[in-house]
Amino acid sequence: MSATTRHVIVGGSAAGMAAAQAIAETDPGASITVFSDEKVRPYFRPMIPYVISGTKQLDELLLEGRGPYRAGGIDVRLDSPVEAVDTAHRTVRAGGESHPYDRLLLATGSRARVPRDLAGAGAEGVYTLRYYSDAQGMAARCTTAKRAVMAGGGLLNLKATFALRERGVDVTLVVSSPAILSQLMEPEDSALLREAILAAGVKIVAGTSVKGVLSGKDGVTGVALDGGKELPCDLVCIGKGVEPIVDYLVGSGIALERGIVVDRHCETSAPGVFAAGDVGVTHNPITGEPVVTGLWTNAAEMGRCAGRNMAGARTAYSGTFGILNATQIGTLPFVSMGIVHTGAGGYETHVASAPGQYRKVVFSPDGARLVGAIFIGSIERAGLYRYIIRESRPIAKIKDKMLSHTLHYGDLMPSSPRHASTGTGG
Amino acid sequence: MNARKEIFAKPERCTACMSCVIACGVEHSKGKSLFAACTEKPAPRSRIYIEWTAPERKTPILCRHCEDAPCMHACIVGAITQGDDGVVTTDNDRCIGCWTCVMVCPYGVIGRHAELKKSYRCDRCPGREVPACVSSCPTGALVFGSVEEFSKGSRRNAAEEFAKGERK
Repeated sequence: MSATTRHVIVGGSAAGMAAAQAIAETDPGASITVFSDEKVRPYFRPMIPYVISGTKQLDELLLEGRGPYRAGGIDVRLDSPVEAVDTAHRTVRAGGESHPYDRLLLATGSRARVPRDLAGAGAEGVYTLRYYSDAQGMAARCTTAKRAVMAGGGLLNLKATFALRERGVDVTLVVSSPAILSQLMEPEDSALLREAILAAGVKIVAGTSVKGVLSGKDGVTGVALDGGKELPCDLVCIGKGVEPIVDYLVGSGIALERGIVVDRHCETSAPGVFAAGDVGVTHNPITGEPVVTGLWTNAAEMGRCAGRNMAGARTAYSGTFGILNATQIGTLPFVSMGIVHTGAGGYETHVASAPGQYRKVVFSPDGARLVGAIFIGSIERAGLYRYIIRESRPIAKIKDKMLSHTLHYGDLMPSSPRHASTGTGG
Repeated sequence: MNARKEIFAKPERCTACMSCVIACGVEHSKGKSLFAACTEKPAPRSRIYIEWTAPERKTPILCRHCEDAPCMHACIVGAITQGDDGVVTTDNDRCIGCWTCVMVCPYGVIGRHAELKKSYRCDRCPGREVPACVSSCPTGALVFGSVEEFSKGSRRNAAEEFAKGERK
């Protein structure tokens, strides 16, 4: 690829910046311009709960120069939201100007989903936690707020919950599902995590949802629940998932289906136009089905792959699971990945529990493939399981070891010790 | 490519004596002596694992400092970097204990330090010419060298074995 190739990236978060880094590594002479709709330099979005708790400042969140993001020469333009893409003339309109591109990456991410029927959501003190500015707003509100209601019991709201607890705010989680974290596990899987949340002094109201926000002259005063009950509060955080930002592509001719449709090389239906991250529709390697995720880790990986392809190094993306989460709640670490909602799917499911620990290992209905796992309390070597699921590795010889949680990398190596050196890089 | 050094393991030479495990723990203790390491709180963590596979293979397993390390790209706070020497390092101060690296490491060699809420892994013993595990190995099951040196050694061994067979 020539030194004059103009790479334009819209979106300055995980996928966009990972792509920019990959382009810079693959084609050091390329011109790389990133248009971000935010007013602050790219940052590690998963860290914004620390802004609420006040334990980290913006400069500690910034991405450039940290982790793998070390390439120079990436021109990041702030406060420049993308408005339209013209694939015929190979230009993109962002920040009020038109910019020509040779390769374009659509990495506009997603926005928080606010239920349409949620009345009064525009009141002061109602937040969705997506941008640094949202966290700043919540942090400011915490100086006077005493009680918060979290609408939704997903991971983001749980992280925000713990940050608010650090600020001394009373928190009630209102969860429409029968239990918390319903996107990541089934109700019986989350019992230990529920205990950890209750132990932190958080109240959980499950099986009902926030129907409306009540407000007065100082903003939020409470929420009305589905059954007619009201909960007084002065801060509301809506965590009802995210939806891809693709509005600017209407009329562009680029194929959309929930998100932006891409091939295995992250290229959209328009030549030279790629997409990655929350906006990209990728595939689930277990089922082959299309999947849209909202995870930093997935976005960074897909962005990196897109960047390589943009710079001319053909690289196939191996897809990802919609569920690929790790975190710690209170003192409990947990990992959830792959297919873990077994319901009526006929999966071969094994569950084991001990005080402070829970394991669920899910196999295909014929028992021949690992398809998902949940580990709570003890998460050691979880990466082996991710690898086995993703590569669809044969498991006949290691199934017992998976069930007894004694699986190690030695079990995945070729059996001949002559070929078993464990130190060869990569 | 310059002679970037790696730690190689030869499972056929490993007797699971655990010298490497102890040496690693001591090296990563504050006191840097066995006695101090045994009494330290929180206990220092060893970053090398000796795993047994039926029927009788013992395999030393440790961070491979992967090229394009999945842990580094997955880290949600930018705490993991790879130096020019290829060593992948976790910045303890930045690590928030989210365990994403534990979830994505295909070798299962990133540990979780529960008391500190930090992840840990082989750091190739910064400051030592030869990593502690390699220095301590009494059977030559751990080798520190470049890929070229290691494969040359393996080829020479194979040639010697072959020659021995010929002489018989």
